[in-house]
Formats: sequence, C-alpha cells, structure tokens
Amino acid sequence: MIEIKNLTKIYKLNKKQMKESKTTDPIKTAVNDLSLAAKQGEIYGLLGPNGAGKTTTLRCISTIIKPTKGEIFVSGHEVQQEPEKVREKIGFLTGDIKLDPQFSVDYMFDFFGRLHNIPEDKLKTRKEELFAYFGIKDFSHKKIKELSTGMAQKAAIAVCLVHDPDIVIFDEPTNGLDVVTARGVTDYLKKLRDEGKLVIISTHVMSEAEKICDRIGIIIDGCKVAEGSLDQILHDTNTEDLEDAFFELYRIQKGGK
Amino acid sequence: MSGIKQICGKELARVFKDKKMIFSVFFLPVIIMVGIMTLVSSLSSSAQKDVEAHNSIIYLQNAPAGFDDFLKAADKECDIYTVSDRAGTEDMIKNGGADLLIEFPEGFLDEVSGYQTGAPVPQVKTYYNPSEDYSRAAYDTVSNGVLEAYRQLLLSDRVEDMEGLTVFTVNSDNPDMVIQDEEKASGKVLGMMLPYFVTILLFAGAMGIGTDMVAGEKERGTMASLLVSPIKRSSIVLGKVFSLMIISGVSSVVYVGAMVAFMPQMMSGMGGDMGLDLSLNSRQIAMMAALLVAIAFLYSAIIVLVSVFAKTVKEANSYVMPVYMLVLVLGITTMFTTKTPHEWFYAVPIYNTSLTLQGILTQEVTMMQYGITLGVTLVLGAVLIGVIAKAFESEKVMAI
Repeated sequence: MIEIKNLTKIYKLNKKQMKESKTTDPIKTAVNDLSLAAKQGEIYGLLGPNGAGKTTTLRCISTIIKPTKGEIFVSGHEVQQEPEKVREKIGFLTGDIKLDPQFSVDYMFDFFGRLHNIPEDKLKTRKEELFAYFGIKDFSHKKIKELSTGMAQKAAIAVCLVHDPDIVIFDEPTNGLDVVTARGVTDYLKKLRDEGKLVIISTHVMSEAEKICDRIGIIIDGCKVAEGSLDQILHDTNTEDLEDAFFELYRIQKGGK
Repeated sequence: MSGIKQICGKELARVFKDKKMIFSVFFLPVIIMVGIMTLVSSLSSSAQKDVEAHNSIIYLQNAPAGFDDFLKAADKECDIYTVSDRAGTEDMIKNGGADLLIEFPEGFLDEVSGYQTGAPVPQVKTYYNPSEDYSRAAYDTVSNGVLEAYRQLLLSDRVEDMEGLTVFTVNSDNPDMVIQDEEKASGKVLGMMLPYFVTILLFAGAMGIGTDMVAGEKERGTMASLLVSPIKRSSIVLGKVFSLMIISGVSSVVYVGAMVAFMPQMMSGMGGDMGLDLSLNSRQIAMMAALLVAIAFLYSAIIVLVSVFAKTVKEANSYVMPVYMLVLVLGITTMFTTKTPHEWFYAVPIYNTSLTLQGILTQEVTMMQYGITLGVTLVLGAVLIGVIAKAFESEKVMAI
C-alpha cells in the first residue's frame, strides 16, 4: 500500500522559468501538505487539472524526485530512506518515460527484467504472458524507433510490468492511445486490481476516472480537496456527475469565483 | 554488481550490435586517418620527384671559360643561359622563371691565376629564391656542391699536393661512429609520439559515444526508465563508465594497430625512420597496460561528468570540446620536454600519464613516479564517479 503523510514539494524557479509561468515569486509549491492512503486491491485515481500536482505526487512516490517535506511509505518502505526497495515494488509509467529507440522490444524487456533480478525462466513465461495480452508478439523483434505511438506505448507498459510489481503507478495511462488500445489498458488495470494489486493513476479525463477508479482523490493547486468513492464524492458535493462535482470543488477552492 | 553488468552490457550492445555504429566509431576514423596521411605522403613524394626531375635553369654572369662544361658535367639536367639583362634575370628568379644566378667577378680566371699572397680573394655570388622549390634545389646542388668542386679544381692547379692542405679528415671512414642503446633510442622517438596519440585516441574514441550515453539518454527521455529501476544510481554511473572505457580502449587499440600497420604506406613519402620496430619487455607492457586502463577510466569519468550536466547531446559536445583541447595540449607538451620533469609534475592529472608513458618507453620512470601517476589518476577518477553519482541523485541536474 501507499501512504503519503503531509507531502509538500516546493520548486525553486530560475529566472527563465519565472518568466515562463509569468510570476515574480521564485518559489512554486507544486504539492501542498498532501496526505492520502491507497490500499492493495484498488484503483486509486488522482484527478485534477493540468499543473495541479498529480504528476509531481506520482514522481515523489516513484523516488524520481524527493519530497521537500513529509513522508511517503510504499509497502512499508520510506521513499527517501530505502529508494531501491521502493523501486523494486513499483512499476512506473508516464508519457515522458520512453524506451531506448535503438533496441528491440524483446531486448528492452529482457534488459529491465534482468535489472529487476528476475530468473531467466520466469522472465520467459512473463514475456509470453504480457506480449500475448498486449499483442506485442508480432512486432517484438522490431526496434522501438520503428513502432507507431500506440505500439510503443504498449511495449512500454509491458516492460514496466516485467517484474510483476505489487504497485502500479500510471501517469495518464491512456494519453495518446486510440480507443481500442486505451480500453485494453484500462481492462488490464482492472485485471491487476482483481489480482490484489494497487493501481494508482493520474488523469484529467473525468469519464476515465468515473469508469475505472475505486477511489478518487481530487487535487487542485497542490491540495487534496476531496477523496472517496465516486458515490461519496457525488454525495458530498451534492452533484450528479464527477464533472459537476469537480467544478463545485474547483469553485470552492478558488474562493467562490 | 549485477546492475553494473546489465547497464554496461546494454551500452556495449548499443555500439557492437549496430553495424553502422561499429563502422563509424572504429573504422571510419581509421579510414580517414590512413587516407589523409597516404594522400599527404604521396603528394609530398610526388612533389619531391617533380623537383628532382626538373631541369634547373641557371643563368651565368661573366662565367669563366670552361665553367659551362664543368657545370654540365656535374649536373647533366640543367639548362644554362648567359645573363644579358641583369634586372630581368632577377625578376625571373623572383617569379620562378629562372632558378639560380651565378655571378663571377670580371676577369675571374686572371685574378685566380695571378693571385699573390695578401691580395684580395675573388668572390663568386649566387642568387636564388628560397620560396621556390626548384630554385632552392638548384641552390643546394650548385652553390654548395658544384662550386665547391670547381674551387677544388682551381686549387689543384695552384697547389701540387692537395693532401697536404687537408691536414686531417673527420669520420671519412668510421661506420661505427654512433654509440647508443638502440632500444632506448627507438623508445625516444616512439615515446615522443605514442603518449600523444594514445591520449588523444582514448579521449576521442570515448567522446562521441559518452555524450550520447548520458546526455542523449536524457534528451530521449530514456534515462528516467533507468532511474525507476531498483538499482543504485552509482551502479548506473559505473555501468556507463565501464562500457565507455571498453569502447574507448577497443577504439584506441584499433587506431594504434592501424597506425602501425599502415605506417610504411603513410610515411613512404616523408622519408626517415619512424623507429616503430620497438621491442617492449613484459614489465614495460604490464606497466603501460595498467596505466592505460587507469587513464581510460579517468577520461570516461570526465566525459560522463560533463555529459551529466548537459541537457542535450549538442550541449554535451560543446562542453566536452574544451576538455578535449586541454587533453590535446597536455599531450603535446610531453613531445617537447627536454628537461627532466620535477617530481610534482607526476601529481598533475592527465599530464602525468603522458609523462609516465614516455618514461616507461624510455625506461627512465621510477616506481615512485609511476605509483604517484597511477594513484592520482585512479583517485581522481573515483572522486569524479562520486560526483556523477551525486549528480544523478539531483532532480535538477537530471531535469526530470
């Protein structure tokens, strides 16, 4: 499970970055005192607009960046104390993370399998299983650079699941995928959940969150403004659907405007 | 350890499994080098042949009777003219139309034959243009050779016993005049060139690949996938540095091998013995091997360090250039050091390896100097690895 306690992430902006985000304040708080807990056997969705701090939160969990304040426990391991242990437990995928274009899908799968210390025979069965599920077999010998966006995304998903992680973290899992592939991915996430794994995703697509998330945490300006199942959130905000609920929360957060 | 091995294996696969990469990293530089050197040497040898084949155009002023024939006998291939317009002849020499002007004083032979003790000695003047190859060659053969022979001829008319004038000769019949340790001598020639080439080649071989290995991986967005795998940052760094060492090592072996193999061909036109038939004893080989491994380690670490701080390959290449220049300059300095180096020179990284490599070849390096060099190189390399690993931890540097 994942337990985030009072996570705060502050970036110091340089002059160029300040100019880009049209601010004179050199300090940007991306995540502000955020706490949440997600259990095994559920799909937890972080929902929020662009720049709300979803990706930053997921990156802190994945040990790619360090929290400024607060603690994050992944299966009992703290991200700053035991980053290698944390990375063993998770599979992390975002649109920014890409596979080496010069290598074949086969090679990358084996390479990451070995980095995770997976025995050869187990690696082989795992490959069979994942490649069959995502329909990668036909192009597994091709170099990543020869693949289409959808094929490359499938390959990246298969590779990040090579070690059968207990916790799967997907930053915008269906971003850039066609409907058929996107459905394949969300179905697989449900399958993982049913196997007792924790899946944590970030999304700004309301319908996606509505359909697959067991629990949703809504983040606006780095703060968690609501959390719970879809029904709970709708009930608390007294709204009909998630989009309305979101705008209600957004209105309150921005001071009623 | 397993992580280091995997990362290293992948980086090596990137180069060795790609035929284009193998060609561009290992063979293209050799082909270019051998091609250029062969071209230069064949051009210079054909230029030399051209000068030899050229008929010298020689103008004579107030030439004594019989000098024409004497000149013809000494240099069959020359065309001889008599000066009619002095200024015009000088212009021709300046423009390359004529090669040499020999000016005798008027009444030269009378002056010579009528010589009394104490009287002024007649002077023969020659004029040439040193920036013209033909003219310079004519000057060399005629002014230094033919005129000297002519002087001897005239002198023999005056003096009966020429031997009496010679008094003594120097080394006219002494084939054993050079006493030196042949190994040390050939070591000197090679010692001047080899450290220079090895330093450059090791660095150049690692440069392109190294920047791509780190900055390229950042640019392509593939670094993050390594960063979320359960291996230590230092394993990633060491894996990359070791693979870079292997690649630069292999490329420098290929380059040096090609250089030795093609040396006769490349140097045919240059003339001179390159002293490459050097025999090394096993101690020298072991010392050199250990030192080369150490310097490959240091260079790889430097290149990776520079690349870590760059966002793109282009940026990394521009950062690495000044370092390359520094390595070049430090390599060159050992080619021109004649003084015995101070002990502390052996504590200056990069420079010390050039010095020590040279010292090993000439067998002049002490164990102490060798130890300092090896130690400094390895320690600095290790420190840089530490810095790189720290940089890998920094989210700012990794820009993720």
